[in-house]
Amino acid sequence: MGDGLLLRRMIAGDEEAFTLLYRRRHPAIYRFALHMSGNVALAEDVTQEVFMTLIRDAKKFDPERGTLGGFLFGIARNHLRRRWEQERHSLPLPDGADELDSLLAASARVGRNGVSNGNGNGRGPFLLSRDEFTSLETVGRVRQAISTLPENYREVVILCELEEMSYEDAASALECPVGTVRSRLHRARALLVEKLHDSQPVRRASAVGE
Amino acid sequence: MKEEADFMDCVEFNEIYHDLDRPGTSGFQFRERALAHAESCSSCGLLLTDGEALDFALRNLSQQNAGREAPGRVEAALLREFQASKVAGSRRRVRGQLAALGSAAAILIALGLGVQHRIASQPDKVTPQAANLATAPGADTSAMAGQHQAAASEADGDEYAKEFVPLPYADDPAALEGGAIVRVTLPRSALPSFGLPIRESDGTGRVFADLLVSEDGTPQAIRLVSDVNTNVNF
Repeated sequence: MGDGLLLRRMIAGDEEAFTLLYRRRHPAIYRFALHMSGNVALAEDVTQEVFMTLIRDAKKFDPERGTLGGFLFGIARNHLRRRWEQERHSLPLPDGADELDSLLAASARVGRNGVSNGNGNGRGPFLLSRDEFTSLETVGRVRQAISTLPENYREVVILCELEEMSYEDAASALECPVGTVRSRLHRARALLVEKLHDSQPVRRASAVGE
Repeated sequence: MKEEADFMDCVEFNEIYHDLDRPGTSGFQFRERALAHAESCSSCGLLLTDGEALDFALRNLSQQNAGREAPGRVEAALLREFQASKVAGSRRRVRGQLAALGSAAAILIALGLGVQHRIASQPDKVTPQAANLATAPGADTSAMAGQHQAAASEADGDEYAKEFVPLPYADDPAALEGGAIVRVTLPRSALPSFGLPIRESDGTGRVFADLLVSEDGTPQAIRLVSDVNTNVNF
């Protein structure tokens, strides 16, 4: 059953339709909020607020302007911004504050104990090996690098790379042209590669020395 | 000639190399040329390798998070909100219907009081046929709306109010949809105020009349009931 039909049934008061729609759409919204904020409690709040807004204002969704997913991401983004303004919550991933940190720490432990980091492999200074990126530690570093991107870049990476959204849908969610999404994503990826290189000073120095 | 067409320089490569695996983009379209360029250009080759490695790491991160979702308490809270909004919505609808009924009743009462006031302030001047000349009750409202113009008195004054006569403040009855017909009794002396001429010799007593009331409760037109026997005297 498509989103449009579920939404119509939901507007007519069908609780089951709302439940189906929620279960289908909320994980991506939750992950978006979690990646954007780095805070589990805030991600839960934002997810709840997004669907509260849908309950109240479902008729505001216009299928000619984009998909329901894009509409929900747009609401999530607005809620996140409002919350950051209210709570001065501008620094994502606060130390030791949430579940994401725990996951990060666990990933790092696994990486140190058992997975090759590929250091000292003789590659050039601007090249990271695939082995390094496959390690859990590196996944944690990628997550950390994403969290330090400027907000505009962070959201396109989350939507287009982690949620595998098309440029068109992301543009609808972010209320900007497709070209802007594309250029932001390219810039964000370049920044990510830079940050990941910068986070390996020892290896870079040794590589340059070679 | 073919080699020239297949050539890609570093600037072009930089524009597209992030999109080589993204269908629908120029990077995907020129993927082969980009890969060929990366093989022949060491700096672009390094960029491509970094980009591929980043893609790989991002995919891993995405897979690692694929199962993450909000806890069940969020869904439970939303379902409570959904149920509450349904109840609130039905209450709003009932309140709206009551308000519409109330305003309709208020308008009818105001009309009745106005008529009563006219009776008190005017001497009785009623035609003898006032009550005899109206049409049968119960006709369809939409049909009546279109026929209202034929109502007022004809040349000899004997025949009037065969159809609904629009009230002075009424909307265009032709545009009227729905509504209801309400049977009322009126003093004959009140008929001129509705645009129904009467004969001076028959100005006493009361007559039955039908009011055509629109959906918002506003009386739009009036007609007398034809049967003489329906006249009432109090």
